[in-house]
Amino acid sequence: MSLVGDAPTGVPRPRGMAERVAAAGSDLRRGLAEWRIWLLLGMNDIRQRYQRSRIGQFWITVSMLMTIAALGGVYSHLFRMSIREYLPSLTMGIVVWALISAMVMDACTVFTGAESYLRQVPMPKSIFVHRMLVRNLMTFAHNVVIAPLLYLAFGTWPGWPILLAPIGLAIVTANGFWIGLLVGTLCARFRDLPQIIASAMQIAFFVTPVMWKADQLPPKASWVVDLNPLASLLALIRDPLLGTVPKTSAYLIGTGLLVAGFGVTMFVFARFRARIVYWL
Amino acid sequence: MATISLERVTIEFPIYNARARRLTGELFRRTIGGKITSNVSSHVSVVALRDIDLELADGDRLGLIGQNGAGKSTLLRVLAGIYEPLSGRARIEGTVASLTDITMGMDLEASGYENIVLRGVFLGLHVSEVRRMIPEIEAFTELGEFLELPLRTYSTGMLLRLAFAVTTAVIPEILIMDELIGAGDAAFVAKAKARLNQMISASRILVIASHDVEIIRRFCNRAALLETGRIARIGPVEQVVCAYLGDDSPQPETQREIE
Repeated sequence: MSLVGDAPTGVPRPRGMAERVAAAGSDLRRGLAEWRIWLLLGMNDIRQRYQRSRIGQFWITVSMLMTIAALGGVYSHLFRMSIREYLPSLTMGIVVWALISAMVMDACTVFTGAESYLRQVPMPKSIFVHRMLVRNLMTFAHNVVIAPLLYLAFGTWPGWPILLAPIGLAIVTANGFWIGLLVGTLCARFRDLPQIIASAMQIAFFVTPVMWKADQLPPKASWVVDLNPLASLLALIRDPLLGTVPKTSAYLIGTGLLVAGFGVTMFVFARFRARIVYWL
Repeated sequence: MATISLERVTIEFPIYNARARRLTGELFRRTIGGKITSNVSSHVSVVALRDIDLELADGDRLGLIGQNGAGKSTLLRVLAGIYEPLSGRARIEGTVASLTDITMGMDLEASGYENIVLRGVFLGLHVSEVRRMIPEIEAFTELGEFLELPLRTYSTGMLLRLAFAVTTAVIPEILIMDELIGAGDAAFVAKAKARLNQMISASRILVIASHDVEIIRRFCNRAALLETGRIARIGPVEQVVCAYLGDDSPQPETQREIE
């Protein structure tokens, strides 16, 4: 082993961008084909966390209910709204926000948390992004059972718009994929990025209509919601659960984000995919 | 047909200082860095392998020898496809099993049976294929009813037995080992050896790194001596081993280590 200050010169850099994009594409294809591994890993993550507790993974649901009860009680007074008016939108907002924010935060450790695998076995890197999505969708599945409880408690029924919820979930999850790949790669290189992202998401929680309603804003401040892509992603799942059809603009922003995000991510991932293992 | 071909492979590890590890630090360096800092290299790198050329084909059994830090483990990882060279080219064709950490992917909270499936899936099998192999693995481990219990209740020896049994149940085309793996008490060792020998002879290409020249002599038909990241010598086992031990040192027993 020897120490040098600079890369050795004269050795050709072998891979052109086209070849790197092909290698990245093959990683994504093989990653999808290995669904058994990521399904198993993702499910195990949930199981492991709650294995030795009495009610197991339903702690996820219980702690969510406690959060909603506490926030609902206080904020309905603060906003001078009746529980009946405030609680449904708060509940669905928090349930969906928990999914979106957990995906973004978890994206940070997609590769750094898989070090023991990545340094031992040549697996497609994208497996660990799918694993993160499985884990968070499982958590969401435990939280979303609160929705029917709410319909029962208030005697409401969302009607046909609820059929749009799976479409919203699909758009959000697909966005979660590129976020996981992009943020996971960058966080392997820059170790202070997780802290930066955590602070950003904290702020995002307050400026996104989770605890408040978009129509509480005066028209001249409505840009806060209109320009916030997280607000659109949120609406794509929350609104159908509340029985309203999301705005067309939410669908446009959600899919636009998907296309733009994948473009940037493919560039970054193709460029740095092979380096991830070296950074761990 | 399995083949491995390395062409001028150089592997460098960037050693980032705390500042280069930080995005905020990098941003400042790039935006307001100016002349002074741009002359200062942001990171030092360790060259673990330098200009490695290597061709392996069916029937090759290559032994890697060299001192600690010579690059043996890094080379094994390149051959396993874990480190893709950023400089030079590596072409690896064939299914690879790298037995550097046989317990990888095992879950201490899950039962022995669940872990057989988990480990098998990591080795590239379908769940149904692993299930078919369970009786054979079960018999080999001799763990009996312990397989129903979570792994955290196992002793280290038992854990290794299970890991060994599953890992050696799948025969790859290219087999990569860092030292010879073995597991268990005296009675088990004999069984394990037989099984490992069978696995080694069934694989098309074997690459094993070891400090024990006897192991290289026994399993290999070629050897490579690594020195500071370069292949200093490659050829017939006896020649390379002699070069490693030094011509005047007494032959076999010098470097003996406990298996």
